[in-house]
Amino acid sequence: MGAALRVTGVRLAAADAFRLSEMGIRCGTLAHVTHYAAFGGRVIAVAGSRYALDGGTAALIDVEPVTCLV
Amino acid sequence: MSCHGPALAPVVGHSRVTMPAASSAAVRVLLVGGPNVGKSTLFNALTGARQHTTNAPGTTVELATGTWRTGGRGTGGRGLPGQGAASSATERAIVDLPGTYSLLARSADEQVTADAVQELGAGFGEGGRQQGVVVVVLDATALARSLYLLAQVAETGVPLVVALTMLDLSAAATDSPTATMAPEALAAALAASLGVPVVPVDSRNRTDGGLRRLAHAVDAVADHPRRVTGIAAPDVASCDHGHEIAHAEVLFSWVEQVASALTPEPASAAPGQRLPSPGWHGRQTFSDRLDTVLLNPWAGIPVFLAVVWLLFELTTAFAAPLQSAIGQLVNGPLASAVTWALGQFGLADGWLQGLLVDGLLVGVGTVATFLPVMAVMFAALGVLEDSGYLARAAFVADRAMRSLGLDGRALLPLIVGFGCNLPALAATRTLPHARQRLLTGLLIPLTSCSARLTVYVLLAGAFFPDHAGTVIFAMYLSSVLLVLGAGLLLRRTAFRDVRSGPLMLVLPPYQRPHLRTLGMSVRLRVEAFVLRAGKIIVVTMIIVWALMAVPVTGSHPVGHVPVGDSLYYKVASGIAPVFTPAGFGNDHAAAALMTGFVAKEVVVGSFAQSYSVAEPGTPTRAASLGERLRASFGDSSDGHGGAAAMAFMVFLLAYTPCVAALAEQRRLFGWRPTASALAAQLAGAWVLAVLVFQVGSRL
Repeated sequence: MGAALRVTGVRLAAADAFRLSEMGIRCGTLAHVTHYAAFGGRVIAVAGSRYALDGGTAALIDVEPVTCLV
Repeated sequence: MSCHGPALAPVVGHSRVTMPAASSAAVRVLLVGGPNVGKSTLFNALTGARQHTTNAPGTTVELATGTWRTGGRGTGGRGLPGQGAASSATERAIVDLPGTYSLLARSADEQVTADAVQELGAGFGEGGRQQGVVVVVLDATALARSLYLLAQVAETGVPLVVALTMLDLSAAATDSPTATMAPEALAAALAASLGVPVVPVDSRNRTDGGLRRLAHAVDAVADHPRRVTGIAAPDVASCDHGHEIAHAEVLFSWVEQVASALTPEPASAAPGQRLPSPGWHGRQTFSDRLDTVLLNPWAGIPVFLAVVWLLFELTTAFAAPLQSAIGQLVNGPLASAVTWALGQFGLADGWLQGLLVDGLLVGVGTVATFLPVMAVMFAALGVLEDSGYLARAAFVADRAMRSLGLDGRALLPLIVGFGCNLPALAATRTLPHARQRLLTGLLIPLTSCSARLTVYVLLAGAFFPDHAGTVIFAMYLSSVLLVLGAGLLLRRTAFRDVRSGPLMLVLPPYQRPHLRTLGMSVRLRVEAFVLRAGKIIVVTMIIVWALMAVPVTGSHPVGHVPVGDSLYYKVASGIAPVFTPAGFGNDHAAAALMTGFVAKEVVVGSFAQSYSVAEPGTPTRAASLGERLRASFGDSSDGHGGAAAMAFMVFLLAYTPCVAALAEQRRLFGWRPTASALAAQLAGAWVLAVLVFQVGSRL
C-alpha cells in the first residue's frame, strides 16, 4: 500500500475496460493503493481522485511498480 | 458523439427531455457533469424553489427542471446578490441532467443526458434558431475526468460554458494536481485552453458573485455561441468497437494537452500518466484518514450496519411520536372543528360531514402523518449523500447485493423497508441507475414493515400461543427469503439487463453537508411527495369511505352504515371465496385484507370491527378477538385454523403494503410498473398463501 504503480493492462470485458479508461484508469496511468477493504476491495489514488474497486475488478488490472518518475 | 457501439455502450432506449415552462423565448440551459461534482447543488442555487422533478418521458429517470431567473423587479423573482435591481428580468429554462462520466451511455440515466445534449447539438447543426447552452460542470479536484466528458459534449457542437466547482475542496481536502492553484488563475488558464468562458462557482456562497458571473456568461454565449477550440465533430462513418476506442484515444490526448498546460509534467512521464498526484508517494488527505476506519475490512461493515440502524431508528422510533401527534391533531381537534363548522350550517351528521371528516380529512391526515418520516428520511439521505459516505456505503455493501445485480446502496433502502416501506422507496433515489432503482423498488414491498408486525402478533398469539415468537421470527425470515427469491427471479426474467458488473466507483472527498441546501432539498422532495403521491392517497381514502358509507342491506342513511351492511362488506364477501383454497375464505379476513390495502396498521382494527358487527349477540366474555379469529378461520379451513392463519400472514406479507407505498411507487416509477407490480404481488401472494395452507393443513 502506498507504493507507486503504473497500469500496464486491464483484463476486464471490453465495455467495462472502456468505461474505466473514460473514468481515468487506463494503460500508463500512475496510481497507488490507499486502502484495502473487505472481500479484496481496493481504493486507489489516481491524479487526486480515489477509486473504489471490488476485489474481482482490482485483480484484473495489471500494474508494475514505478521506481522513478524523472 | 460519433455513435453508440453496442459492444462498448449498450443503448438503452431514447428519451426526449421536456424543458420547463419558462417563457418561450427563454434560453435552454442543460447542466451536464459527472456524479458528485456539485451539479445538483449548483442547480438548487440557481433555481431556488422554482423547480420541480419529473420523469424523463418514457423512462423512470428523474429529472429536476426549473427556471433560472436573474434581475428585475416586480417579476416575483429574486435576483442574485449583486444583480442590479433596475435590470430587466432574465429567465432561462434549466435542466439538471443525470450525472455521467461519458456520453456513451451505459444506463437509462446516462442515455437521458446523452440524448438531451445531442438533441440540442442537432438543433444547432441543422441551422436551427434555438437558443441553448450547455453548462458543463467541471470538478476542480478531478479535472482530467471532467475534461473528457466536456470533450464529448463539445463534439456535439453545442455552445458551452464551464462552471468550475469543488474549488473549496481542491486545496484542503485532496491531493489534486491543481490543488495549489488559485481558483481565478485555474479558471483563466482553462478558459485560455478551451476558448469558452470558465466560471469558478461556489454554489453554497450566493454572495461571491460566481453565480452572477455564470448567468452573464450563459447569456453571452447564448447570444454569441462559443465552442471549445481544438475539438471537431468526429467521423461518424464507423461505429465499431475499434473506432470508438481510437476516437476515445484522440479525446484522451486532447485532455492530456489541456491538463499539461495547467500543471507541470514530469519529464519522463509516459502517455496516460498526466496529472500525477503530487501525493502519489503516500500523502494522506483527511478523507484518506477517515476511510482508514470507514473502509477498514473489519470496521467498515459494522459502521455501515450502524448507519443503517440509525436510519431505521430515525424513520421508526424518532418519527413515530411526530406521526402520532399529527394523527391525534387531525382526528381530534381538526375533525371536531370541521364537524362544528358544518354544524353551524346545519350539515352535521349528514353524508357531507362523513365525506369531509371520514373521507377527505382522514386522507389528508394519512398523508400528513407520513410527512415526518419522509422528511427525516430525505434529510438523512441528504446528509449521507452530501457528506460523501453514501459512495462508501455502496463499496462496503457491494458484496451483499451483488447476487441480485444491485448496487451496494440498494441494501440501505431494503433494510429501512423493515421499518416502513414508504421512506425505503424514497431512498431508492440514491441508486445511480434507473433499472436498479426500479428493481429495488419492486423488492421493497416484500420487506416486512413494522405495521405488519401487529397482525403477526395478533394471529401468532391467537393460533400459536406457545410458539408465537418463533412464528413471528419465521415471518421475518420469510420476508428475507421472499426478497432474495423475487430478486433472483426478476433478474432472470424482466431484469436480465441488470447485471452485476465490476464495481468502479469514484469516492468523493468527505464534506460537511450544507444546511440551507439540505433544507431546501428536503422541502422540495417532501412537496413532491405530497403533491404527487398524496393525491392518490386522499382519493383512495375517499373511495374507501364511499364504500363504507353506502348501505346495501338494512335501511341506513348514507354515511351512517354499520360495517356489516355496507357496500364495503358486500365487496369483501364477494372476494372471500377467492381465498377459500388458502383456508381463509371468510368475510372477516377478506374485509381485513381490503383494509390492509389502505394501511396495514388498521388490519387488527378491521378484524375487531367486523367481528363485533357481524356477531352482535355473542356474549362478551366469550368474544375475545382471538377466539373469534380461531372460530372463523377454523370454519373456513375445515378445522385447519393454524394453517389458514399462517397462510393469511404470508398473504399479508407478500401483497401490496399500503396505498401510500403504491402511490410512492407510482410517483417514482410510473403507472405501468406499479400496476404490473400490484398484479404480480397479488398473484404471488395468493399462490404462496395457497401453498402454505395446502402444505400446512396436511402436516
